[in-house]
Amino acid sequence: MHGRVKVKTTAQQEEEKRKEREKKLKIYVAARDACFSKRKEGVCDDEALQLTQQLLSSNPDFATLWNYRREILMHLETVKDPDEMQKIYEAELSFLEACLKVNPKSYGSWHHRGWVSARLPRPDWARELSLCDRCLSLDDRNFHCWDYRRMVVKVSGVPVDQELEFSDRLIGSNFSNYSSWHYRSTLLPVLHPQTRQEPPHASSPRGPQSHRVCEEQLLKEYELVQNAFFTDPNDQSAWFYYRWLLGRAEREETISCVYVSREDERVAVAFSRPINARCVGLLLVLDGQPLRVEWRSVHPRFRHSPVLICDLPPGTINDVTNEHNLTVHWTGNHTHRDCALYTGRVESWCRDTATDQELFRSELSVEKTSVLQSELQSVKQLQELEPLNKWCLLTIILLMRALDPLGYEKETLAHFQTLKEVDSMRSEYYSDLCCKFMIENTILKMEYAEVRVFSITDRNLTSLCHLDQLLLVTHINLSSNRLQRLPPQFAMLQCLEVLEADNNFLENLEGVYHLPRLQEVSLKNNKISTLTDLQPLASCPELKRLDLRGNPVTQAASVESDLAELLPSVTDLLL
Amino acid sequence: GVTDVDMSPKYHFLKDRHVRFFQRTLQVLPERYASLETTRLSIVFFALSGLDVLGSLDVIDKDLIIEWIYSQQVLPTDDKSNLGRCGFRGSSHIGIPYSTKGPGVLHPYDSGHVAMTYTGLCSLLILGDDLSRVNKQGCLAGLRALQLEDGSFYSVPEGSENDIRFIYCAACICFMLDDWSGMNIQKAIEYIRGSLVSGWTYCAIASLCLMGRLEEALSPRELDRIRRWCIMRQQSGFHGRPNKPVDTCYSFWVGATLELLGVFRYTNFEKNRNFILSTQDRLVGGFAKWPDSHPDPLHAYFGLCGLSLIGEPNLRKVHPALNITQGAFQHLQQLHQTWRSSCGQQH
Repeated sequence: MHGRVKVKTTAQQEEEKRKEREKKLKIYVAARDACFSKRKEGVCDDEALQLTQQLLSSNPDFATLWNYRREILMHLETVKDPDEMQKIYEAELSFLEACLKVNPKSYGSWHHRGWVSARLPRPDWARELSLCDRCLSLDDRNFHCWDYRRMVVKVSGVPVDQELEFSDRLIGSNFSNYSSWHYRSTLLPVLHPQTRQEPPHASSPRGPQSHRVCEEQLLKEYELVQNAFFTDPNDQSAWFYYRWLLGRAEREETISCVYVSREDERVAVAFSRPINARCVGLLLVLDGQPLRVEWRSVHPRFRHSPVLICDLPPGTINDVTNEHNLTVHWTGNHTHRDCALYTGRVESWCRDTATDQELFRSELSVEKTSVLQSELQSVKQLQELEPLNKWCLLTIILLMRALDPLGYEKETLAHFQTLKEVDSMRSEYYSDLCCKFMIENTILKMEYAEVRVFSITDRNLTSLCHLDQLLLVTHINLSSNRLQRLPPQFAMLQCLEVLEADNNFLENLEGVYHLPRLQEVSLKNNKISTLTDLQPLASCPELKRLDLRGNPVTQAASVESDLAELLPSVTDLLL
Repeated sequence: GVTDVDMSPKYHFLKDRHVRFFQRTLQVLPERYASLETTRLSIVFFALSGLDVLGSLDVIDKDLIIEWIYSQQVLPTDDKSNLGRCGFRGSSHIGIPYSTKGPGVLHPYDSGHVAMTYTGLCSLLILGDDLSRVNKQGCLAGLRALQLEDGSFYSVPEGSENDIRFIYCAACICFMLDDWSGMNIQKAIEYIRGSLVSGWTYCAIASLCLMGRLEEALSPRELDRIRRWCIMRQQSGFHGRPNKPVDTCYSFWVGATLELLGVFRYTNFEKNRNFILSTQDRLVGGFAKWPDSHPDPLHAYFGLCGLSLIGEPNLRKVHPALNITQGAFQHLQQLHQTWRSSCGQQH
C-alpha cells in the first residue's frame, strides 16, 4: 500500500480499472462469505482449501484464514495416509511460493511455510535452503527470509561451517551486505568460541553477543573485514562488523568500591553497573556479625544507581580507637568486598581504580597490544587515502582509547575536530562523545596522581558522566563550561568538600543533595534565578561558604534574609 | 539541535491539508486499502492521533467514533468461557452483529488482536473517553493467553507469528490499563534482550521504558551502543538499517528511540525536517514514505510525529514511548489517579 509511485492515467483507463475492481470485489466477498459459513459449520474439505487459497492469494495477511487453513490440514492428517499428506503439503509449499512471489514480505506467508515445513512427513530441507538462496538473491536484506533460513538451519541441523561458507559466498560477491555480516557474527562464536578464562562461578554474561571468538579466527576475520573496508570505505556494514570484532564481553559484575566514614557513620558502595536499591541482595557484615541496614540511592529521583549508601546504627563505629572490619556481600553475584577501618583513621576505602577495571578501555577486546597496534596502523593508512571518511576517524579514535587513552589524548582531540567537520550532521553527538572521553582522561590523571581533586575547566562540557567514579573526590572544579544542571547523579559525590562551578549556565542544582561534607560552594556567573533553585543546598549540613555573585537571584529584594533563613549554617555569603 | 528553518515554499508545513487528509481517512478508505481491512482500527488510530497532534480533533464526531470502537470490543460471554479471546478486533470483517455492550456473543473464530486492543485503547484515550466500558478483566486475560514461553507474544489466540512488535503492544496495554498482570515482564525482558539485533529497536526501548526497566535490562555500554547505532541512522531523514533508503516514518521510530535515550538533541533537525517535508503531499495532504510517492495514513501520522519531535510550531508534543500526545497522556494519568484512589491501593 505505501511507497506507491504516482502515475498519470487517462479518464478511460480509470473507468476500466474501476470496472475491473468491482468485478474482483464481488468475487472476493462471495468467496469470503462461503468460507466463513463453511468454517462455522466445521466443514474441512477440499472446497474449503480452494476458497481460502483464492482469498489468501489476494490478501496473504488475513490471519484468520491461515488459521482456518491450518485447521483443515490438521483435520486431513487424521483421515489421509502419510503419502497423501506429503503430496498435499508439497502442494501447499508450491502455493506458498506463489504467495511469496507476489509479496515476499508477508508475515502470514512465511509463518505458514514454517508451520508446513515442520509437519511434512518427509521434509526437503535442501529445497527450503534453496528457496532462501533464491529469495536472498533477489533481496538480501529481507529479514523474513533470514529468519526463516535460521529456522531451517536450526531444525535440519545444517552444520555451522557450511553456513559460514554461505556467508563467505554472499560477502565475497558483495561486501556491502549488512545482513550477511550480521549473520556471520552469529555463526562465528558458535564455530570458534573463545575459551573462557573467567572463574567458573562468574555471573552469567548479559546479552546475546557476549560469546566471543577465539583469537586465531579473529585475526582471520580482521583480514577479511579489512579487505571489505579498503575496497569500499564508505559502506558502513564492514565498519560495524569490525567494531563488533574488536569489542568484548561485558565485564564481570563486581563491587568496585566500598567507602566507610566514621564521622557520618555511613557506608557507600559503588557497583560496576546501576542497580535498584529495593531489588538488590546486599549483606553487610561488621566485625563478623551481619548488620541489618537499609540501602538507599543517593537521591530519590535516581533510583537505578551505581552507588548505594546506608547508615550504620549510631555508636557502631564512631570510636576512633577501635578497628573495624567491614564486608559487603552482593549475594546475587557471589561477590563481596572487604574494607578495614583502622584505629585513628576517620575514613577508609577499598576500590578498584578505573585503571584496574580497564574501565575506559573495556569497549575493546583483551587482544594483545601488538594486535591492536597493527590494526591502528592499517586504519591510519586508509585514513591517509580517505581523509573525509568518518568511519576511519571513529575507528582510529576507538583504537587509540583502547591502547593508551592518555598517551593519545592530543591526537584523539585533533581527530574529533576533523570528525566534526567531515560529518557535521552529527557534530553535537561527537562533541558529547569527546566530552565523555575528556572526563575519562581526567579521572585517569587524577588516579595516577593519587589525589582526590577532579578539575575539568574551559572544555565546553554540556553534560556530566561517570559520576560514580567520583565517589571519593573531595574537591571538584567544573568552572567555565556549558553546564545547565547538576543532576541527581551528582549526589554520588559523597566525599565532596569543595564545589567550584563558576561561569556555566547552571539553573538546576538537584544533585547537590545531602552531601555530608560539603563546606564550600562557588557558583559565580550562572543562571540561578529563584530561591527554589537553591533549595537542595539546604540539605547539606556543613555548608559554610557560598558565592552566588553574577546570578539573577541576587537581584531579588529580600535575597539576603531569604538565604539566611534557607541556609542558616552558611557564614560566608557572597552576593 | 535547533537550527534556522528553511522558509522556501517547498518547506512550508501545510497544516490544513493534513487535517483534511485525516478527515477523509476517517470517512471512506480507497479500495486499495481493502487488504488492510482486518487492521482497520489501527488506521483509525493513525488518523485520530494525527488530528490530535495537529490540535484538530474538533473536526470529527468524537462520540460516534467512540461508539464504533467499543463495538469492536470482544466481550466475555455470560459464562466467561471466552476470556482468553477478549480484546478488540480490527473491524467488523468477521460479521459479528453490531453491539457496544455485553454480554459477548460466542463465535468460534472471533477474537481480539493485540495490536487492535493497543490502538483501540489509545484511540479511546485520544477521544477523551474514560475507558469505563473497557472490560479490563477480558483484555488482560486475552493478553495473558497470547504470551509464549520465550516471552514473546502472538497477535491472536489461535496463533500467528510472534515477535517483539507484539511485546510492545502488550506493554502499552498493561501501561494504559495500569495493570501488569497481563504479562510476565521478566520473560518479556529476556526475549527483548535476546532479540536486540533486530530492526525493531523502537519496540524494545519503548517497551522497557513503559515497564520502567530500561536501565535494569540494559547496561550503560549496551545503551551507548544503541545510541550510536541510532544516531548513525540519520542520512538526511532517517533510515531503518544500513544501506537502506531514508523513509519518513523512521523520523519517528529512530527519533523517538533517541529521545527516550536522551540524545535526540544531537541529531540535525534541519536536515530531518527538510526530508520529511519533501514527502509532504501538497495537494491531498499527508506524507509518503518517499518523495514523489502517494501518501498513506501511517506515514502521514509518523511524519507529523517526526516533526513534533523536532519542535515544529503548531504541533502538539508526542509521548515518545506510548506514541500518543502528551495531552492524551495526561488524561491517562488522571484516569490512573482516579482508579488508584478509588481502589485505595498503593502502587
